[in-house]
Amino acid sequence: MISALVAVLITGWMYYQFSHTVGELSSNDEIDGDFKVCNEDIIPNYYGMGTDHDGGRKAIKNKLLNNLQNLKFDNSGLITFRFIVNCEGEIGRFRARSTDLNLEEIKIDSAKLKHIEEALLSLKNWNPAKNEHSSYDSYYVLNFKIRNNQIVDIF
Amino acid sequence: MKRFFKILKLILASLLTVYSVVIIYMLVFSPKEQRYDYASHFQGVALSQSMFEILKYQDPSNDQIYFEQSVPYNKRGYYEEGFQLLDKAVELKPKMHLGYRGYMKLRFLRCFNGALEDFNRLDTLTPNFVDTPWGEDIDLLRGEAYFGLKNYDKSIVHFKRSIENQGEDWVDIQAFVYLGLSEFEIGNYEKAKEHFEKALDKSKFTAEAHIGLARIYFENGDLTKSEFHLDTAEKYFNYKRNDPYNEYLNEIYKADIAVLRKSVVK
Repeated sequence: MISALVAVLITGWMYYQFSHTVGELSSNDEIDGDFKVCNEDIIPNYYGMGTDHDGGRKAIKNKLLNNLQNLKFDNSGLITFRFIVNCEGEIGRFRARSTDLNLEEIKIDSAKLKHIEEALLSLKNWNPAKNEHSSYDSYYVLNFKIRNNQIVDIF
Repeated sequence: MKRFFKILKLILASLLTVYSVVIIYMLVFSPKEQRYDYASHFQGVALSQSMFEILKYQDPSNDQIYFEQSVPYNKRGYYEEGFQLLDKAVELKPKMHLGYRGYMKLRFLRCFNGALEDFNRLDTLTPNFVDTPWGEDIDLLRGEAYFGLKNYDKSIVHFKRSIENQGEDWVDIQAFVYLGLSEFEIGNYEKAKEHFEKALDKSKFTAEAHIGLARIYFENGDLTKSEFHLDTAEKYFNYKRNDPYNEYLNEIYKADIAVLRKSVVK
């Protein structure tokens, strides 16, 4: 009985360990609205998958930077948005983390994060991850660099 | 019958015990090198991170474990966690990891001053030795950091030093491209042109240099040559440098060619 219990516990733990990865974002209907992914079980990362915005990161910067200049911040550092580009080229499930120059976590006013998120949502023409067979959901990372109290770079 | 079930139960219990013991052995007691390789192979998977945790507990002074565990965090934008681990690796073996940390600060965070601090510290720890953080010449990376800071006088010094370090035949062609871009930024178009041409001497496929030359010829009013280099940049666009993780500071886009072409044909 004990051996069966231990084996079940270990198997359950191993299943969890194999089926979860660093950086996966679980859905939350309250904050993610009606954003849907095509396959919740397989969401790779953008690198090596061809996920990008039309015109690359430079186009994102060109479109957003000026519109975000009215946001003021207390600390220098980075706001890093991680989100999903789904297989249809829609974006959602935004999660942001912010660090100062010592790479320690800092708190950013949620209204400002929402403002950036809305700016991101205004961007259309995302290219989902794809190969010769199909298009896929994938995670994307975008950094907003803060210096002198404002966003100076997006990459 | 009762005896049969008793034997069956015993066999089953033995099998389940062996199963559990094997897994626990593999996770906790098998050779550390094997577990490290396994965890590295499954980069980013929760099991890999848990195995690194066990390895750190058993071998807390092994810098490689901290380094390797940091990689998926940093690749996926979890810099707080990633750099905590990387800082520990640097603390344990600075010569081994300062270069990589500087590289990460430069390319992943665009924290140019932080990157320079790491590169300079590494340089002082290795006198009379040309370091190559993550496989790239230290002065190419320092030049890139100064380029990011828009300190073009210093970026020029380091890009030139990178060419000296590696020799013209072996240096990364991007050292010439960045030299051209730095000279261009401070208005030295003739010098910029020489550097871009040098890059093309090394490889005619250097699309970045073609765009650089197209800009210079456009500024100088030679629209025919400007258009020629735009056409060539477009032709060799697939040879442009590309990093799956990040955008280079001198990354070129088709939109750059289109915008410049519009000005040229006006």
